[in-house]
Amino acid sequence: MQRADLKREIKALLVSELNLAGRDPAAIADDAPLFGDGGLGLDSLDALQIAMLVEEKFGVRVPEGDEARPIFVSVSSLAEFVGRERDAKAGSTPLG
Amino acid sequence: MIVITGLGAITALGATVGETWERLLRGERGFEAVSLFGAHDYRVRLVAQVHGLPREGGDGFSRTSELGLRAGREALADARFAEPASRPRRFGLVMAGSTAGMLETESTLAVILRHEGTLDPAIREEALGRMLSHPLSAPTDRVARALGPFTRVRSLSSACSSGANALLVGATWLELGLVDAVLCGAADALCRVTLSGFNALGALDPEGARPFDRRRRGLTLGEGAGFVVLERAEDARAREKDAICTLLGWSARAEAHHITNPEPTGDAPARAMRAALARAGLTPADIDYVNAHGTGTPLNDPMESKALARVFGEDLARVPVSSQKGQIGHTLASAGAIEAAITAFAIAKGIVPPTGGLEEPDPECPLHHVLTATERPVRAALSSSFGFGGMDTVLVFGRSDAQAPPVPARRAVVVTGVAAITPAGLVEGAAVADLPGCATAGDAIAFDFEASLARDRARRLDRASRLAALACERALGGGGGVVPENARAAGVVLGNAFGSVDGTSAYMRRLRDKGARLASPADFPGLVPSSPAGHVSIYLGLKGPTLVVADLAVSGECAVTQGYELVAAGEVDRVAVVAVEEKSAIVDAVFRVVFGPDEPGRRALRREGAGAVALAAADVARADGLPVLAQVAQVLAWADDEAVLQELAPPPADGHAVVVLGAEAHQLLLERSGWANVRCISCAEQVGSHEAAGGIAVAVAAATLASDPSLEVALAIGAARGRGYAILLRRAAP
Repeated sequence: MQRADLKREIKALLVSELNLAGRDPAAIADDAPLFGDGGLGLDSLDALQIAMLVEEKFGVRVPEGDEARPIFVSVSSLAEFVGRERDAKAGSTPLG
Repeated sequence: MIVITGLGAITALGATVGETWERLLRGERGFEAVSLFGAHDYRVRLVAQVHGLPREGGDGFSRTSELGLRAGREALADARFAEPASRPRRFGLVMAGSTAGMLETESTLAVILRHEGTLDPAIREEALGRMLSHPLSAPTDRVARALGPFTRVRSLSSACSSGANALLVGATWLELGLVDAVLCGAADALCRVTLSGFNALGALDPEGARPFDRRRRGLTLGEGAGFVVLERAEDARAREKDAICTLLGWSARAEAHHITNPEPTGDAPARAMRAALARAGLTPADIDYVNAHGTGTPLNDPMESKALARVFGEDLARVPVSSQKGQIGHTLASAGAIEAAITAFAIAKGIVPPTGGLEEPDPECPLHHVLTATERPVRAALSSSFGFGGMDTVLVFGRSDAQAPPVPARRAVVVTGVAAITPAGLVEGAAVADLPGCATAGDAIAFDFEASLARDRARRLDRASRLAALACERALGGGGGVVPENARAAGVVLGNAFGSVDGTSAYMRRLRDKGARLASPADFPGLVPSSPAGHVSIYLGLKGPTLVVADLAVSGECAVTQGYELVAAGEVDRVAVVAVEEKSAIVDAVFRVVFGPDEPGRRALRREGAGAVALAAADVARADGLPVLAQVAQVLAWADDEAVLQELAPPPADGHAVVVLGAEAHQLLLERSGWANVRCISCAEQVGSHEAAGGIAVAVAAATLASDPSLEVALAIGAARGRGYAILLRRAAP
């Protein structure tokens, strides 16, 4: 899946699964901060929910603790992580 | 002065409080992999579970109720109240919990979900019938039947501060002169929902809880029960019963911050500590031991250390602090009650118990830690309990020869606002009086009440919490998700009979289909029965005592009664009381099994709705210039003892009175109350016979008084299965 598609899918997931009612997924900037002010205003409970959803929808396990921090910066960083992990998985699949 | 004359506890470390105490002092830890249910795919399986629990009542009762029965019986025997004949006539029971029959409900839902659509109707019915052990009030009912009679009974929940709040409520009953002795405590059994839920939150330490330790990673779930017997010092003396210790002070405050995370500065716990010390007539210098909440989660322990530093200042280095959660686990609702018993032992025996599991104190928790049990005189001690949703309660105990603290005068209470949400719409203020006359509008609330919510802040609220928050906002005179500044210190008392049954079902379905790794961390907090009260507090920024009460069909009347008691006893100046029920396919199915199918004209359909009543101390309402719809003239509650009804004021001879019922007319009750000849309004036709209808009835009674100048008094009354409540309102003085 292309990164742009992945970002679109992640945005739709955030809006529907975190009950961001009234928010247009397309209006979420790729690099808008997920947490704190000036972005989506999410918190640590949302981070746990996103990690669980990413594992469910994309089959990718998000690391716990400090390792997760750079992944949860924005939709871009999340899509980058998911894409990379999936590529790595695909690459390690024996062909034929 | 209130004394403790009996203690009981059952934990992973012992079947009695004495056995638990001895093993705590030895530093033993009761942790092992859970064997109560299959949990192969749970990340952390380490728990503190109780072994050898007899199943006294057979399959009809929950593990929670059996735990409660054990500890309750021990406390009664310890107080020399084992025989009902040895007790004072007015004998109360306050029992708190959070999981109630969840462990059994999980098995029931497994049966129902396994063969959806194809299940043998007989097996399905049998399974649904077992859901009667599910409600928060079911363990209380079990304990009341087995250990009673009790003349006053209350079931409550405030998550992990539930047990402490059971003592707080019992203490207010004694101070208000409602009982002469009261058995207070809590019970909680382990279950799949809590173990998978705390796993989903990443809140469990795989190595076992290590409170205040630098390496701590979370809590360890435990189960158990704790009970104490409270009575007045002079009554204990009169029957020559030595007191174990005194209960000198208590206070509950809310963080209004987040449904799972503690507010990091410890503001609410500090406010609760100060208020409890003030109630006890003590200063931090009088405290020789702090029994901490100390869960071992990364966030709780530094927050609690900050709160203690705010209150104790320089004195903090002197005061030993310990937590038992690294040994008996976090027993959730029971924790506050079990820790009350441990704190009582610490005072009575002059021994400070250690923090088991703590080896390397965290510099972020700079406290006087207790690494091994230490002999040391304890004049007075403070015990903290902090609950999910930011419900914080602090109790202060003293030696049995402590000086009696001053008792605040009983306060007059007024109704300052009402609101109701029914299938017919949202109404507030005097317009609520018109509700019984409105045309019915279906079973479910179909209008767009969501549009009245502040959407961003409401995103975590489930349907019941949204209805409750909106009704409270309006009753407090607010709008758009905001209440006036002078309402922010208000408490929240929320009546709810069943909790989130359909939410639990959805959670269990996911747990079964996707496994424990994919259990939803965001959905789990909604299954905790106290969550709707926490959500209301957070959404509206209300920082007073916050809790849920439950009493099946009369949960609404029960909530108003509880709110009244808190204001009358001086625990809080204002409180938003709300009763709420949402339509539930599973509750409907259980009702059809228990009561038979709905028949037109026999009983109204179970609908959904919320009724809110804002109460305030009369002097506060006057000082703040709040609108006064009615004065609260009298509030009665009884359990298996309708003799209490004889205390009810008679209706005025001139007929300027009205009776309002949440349910259908209850002729027998009206006759016994002496109000049978008074004009009677039944809300059932309009609101349906759901468990929150009593809350709407009280709102209607207040609004009717405010809008009909010919009326002098209005009585809201309700009773079911031997429990009853009468709330008498009087026209407000001009």
